[in-house]
Amino acid sequence: MKKNKELPLTETVYYILLALNEPAHGYLIMQKVEELSDGQVRLAAGTLYGAIENLLKLGFIMPVKSEDKRRKVYLITDKGREILLLDYRRMQHIIKITERSLGMGGSDTDEEI
Amino acid sequence: MGWEVVILMKKFKIFVNFDKEEKWLNEMARNGWQLKGKSTRYRFCKGEPEDTVIKVDYRVFNKRDAYEDYLMLFKDSGWEHICGNRSCGSQYFKRIDESSDSDIFSDLSSKAGRYKRLSNVWMSLAMCYLTIFISFCLSNTIDINALLHPKLLYYTPGLWERSGAAFWKAFLIETPIVLLRGFIWYLIPVFFIAFVIFALLSEKEYRKMKKVTIAK
Repeated sequence: MKKNKELPLTETVYYILLALNEPAHGYLIMQKVEELSDGQVRLAAGTLYGAIENLLKLGFIMPVKSEDKRRKVYLITDKGREILLLDYRRMQHIIKITERSLGMGGSDTDEEI
Repeated sequence: MGWEVVILMKKFKIFVNFDKEEKWLNEMARNGWQLKGKSTRYRFCKGEPEDTVIKVDYRVFNKRDAYEDYLMLFKDSGWEHICGNRSCGSQYFKRIDESSDSDIFSDLSSKAGRYKRLSNVWMSLAMCYLTIFISFCLSNTIDINALLHPKLLYYTPGLWERSGAAFWKAFLIETPIVLLRGFIWYLIPVFFIAFVIFALLSEKEYRKMKKVTIAK
């Protein structure tokens, strides 16, 4: 795996990127992230605004045209999708080796530790 | 015809810590003082006592549409913008939706980020003053020697050799002129130092919060 200093993504950033697979404005991102995370990640306005600003700077998301003049709408970029997949594979590896090390025998088991 | 009495109050206060500022503003609201504006002083208007949550963010915006987008995000998520403008930095929000979260930040590192932004603004102001000061010195608009030795700003011949009433009379007559002549230039270095101090204090708050984030 290529070494990237943006990896691993924070949980917040991961969910924001995932939510922006479809165009969304700020508040919609908040709602989507909450939904995607089963209510585990609730972003506050100030935190989300800073995160969007940072992701724009990194080129992971971009503003797109919208009907709504007062709210900006964003979408994930190719670069953003690439980093998301890199992090996905990183986590997949973690899951795989955790299951192997703890003898959980694959993902189809409903055994609990 | 009914009369409406509007009671206004202005208060001067400087905060280095946003949490303390928020606490104070919440207390004012509980006593019925609604924040209406802030320039050098806070402006309050007397109204109903309110048990509310007021939060401060620090952001400066270059573009109008970015500022509008920012305000809409807060409005959508249950926060009313009660004062602040695009270029002043401090943005004050009041919670209007009881069901929304009690803070405008959901993690410590973004909460700390506002101190970093504040510190950067103070630092760039300090650098502006430093540049002005140096260019005035180089162009001899400011005489550094006179700033270091204020006695040189008194032109009365033999003033410092006099004593008693003769000295004080001449000294007091000339002092207002001296203030106009030279002391005004002291303001530039004084402001520079003040801005650097503010920048360092915000930086300190930032570091303090960052440390907590790392420890977590």
